Amino acid sequence: MRQAQEEHPQDTDKPVASIGRRWGMVVDLDRCTGCQACVVACHAENNIALNLEDVVLQQRAINWIRIERYWEGEYPNVKARFLPMFCQHCNNAPCEPVCPVYATYHNQEGLNVQVYNRCIGTRYCANNCPYHARFFNFWERDLDDTHREYLNPNVTVRTKGIMEKCTFCVQRIRKSEWERRQADEELQDGDVNPACVQACPTDTLVFGNLEDEESRVAKLAQNKRHYRVLEELGTDTNVVYLKKVDPHASETAPAHA
Amino acid sequence: MTSRAVRLTIGAVVVVAGLLLIGGVAWASQAGDGPEQPIAFMHTVHAEQNDIDCVFCHRTVETGAEASVPAVEQCMFCHNVINDENPKVTDPFYRAEIAKLEAYAENNEPIDWVRVHVMPDHVRFVHAAHIKAGFECATCHGDVGSMERVKQVRSLNMGDCVACHRENDAPTDCTICHR
Repeated sequence: MRQAQEEHPQDTDKPVASIGRRWGMVVDLDRCTGCQACVVACHAENNIALNLEDVVLQQRAINWIRIERYWEGEYPNVKARFLPMFCQHCNNAPCEPVCPVYATYHNQEGLNVQVYNRCIGTRYCANNCPYHARFFNFWERDLDDTHREYLNPNVTVRTKGIMEKCTFCVQRIRKSEWERRQADEELQDGDVNPACVQACPTDTLVFGNLEDEESRVAKLAQNKRHYRVLEELGTDTNVVYLKKVDPHASETAPAHA
Repeated sequence: MTSRAVRLTIGAVVVVAGLLLIGGVAWASQAGDGPEQPIAFMHTVHAEQNDIDCVFCHRTVETGAEASVPAVEQCMFCHNVINDENPKVTDPFYRAEIAKLEAYAENNEPIDWVRVHVMPDHVRFVHAAHIKAGFECATCHGDVGSMERVKQVRSLNMGDCVACHRENDAPTDCTICHR
């Protein structure tokens, strides 16, 4: 952490010296059915505010993970494509250098961290995020005693005026870490699963340590279908997508330039 | 002096005296004892004189994030026998306090203890991890066995936590505590 402050993230190839751990995710688009189980699980796990109709119409809805839907082809030969989109935990994150108070930074585990108690709500980070993965709290949560009962006690309830985004369920990472430490063991591949990964019925989402070559996620990331969203921006994301397998793609898809 | 000035002076003196009183009370509660509890539970009697281990009552401290305050039933494991009619309890003060506990048990009511160590909502502290690392309860909570009313002895603000983490080579990444 100290080292990261002395050396400006932009000066080095990788923003922070790694400690042999770089959390990442693989999203196999060939498996995604667009069922939105990940969205629901994320909302429940991370105490995300309810997006009521007026909030959505104001385009201020908060969804740490969302399913983007793309239509392809002309009726009646229409195909729906689904793409789960969430914070890509970029190794060269556009959101990080624009924060005036270091409320967002890259930690040694490859996570793009949002520190709620540092955030002053300038919203520069959200403006600079090409994935639209950051969300601003425009309102204070209106929680009565009943609502408080179904909050996740391991996750901070964000107040009005601060940014929030996908954390890769860092509370689960920390929990698995200390559970292993209680037993004097090392963290194993598959120990940590964010809520979206746990809820996914088709095994679309796979989470793990990208620096461990033996991990499931690192092997999947080598698949020949792999690509990164908006790769040309050079954000060097920790989320890898696997292209959908579609033998008829050339019949419906518009020709690439 | 005009009567208006006199009234103003008296008013100012009353206000200042009031502020001093409030401040004094606040200071005394900081420096002296902790908050008053619904039952005058004595750590001196339990932890010091009868040498009961902290974990005997605060059961989840070695396994979970919270140290857990015992349920009334758990108090009654012992106080079924050590009740207000037990001849060995001679002090009428203790008899009265034990009777309060029995009333809670009879009415199936939880005791509304006043929390002494309050962390902000954006901080997550895991007791088990610190016990596993070999720290005594007293490192943060002080000698509770000598406190008739539990009070906070360390500031437990972020500087306090980070200084200790640095001294002990513990991680200082933000996500360790803030998530």
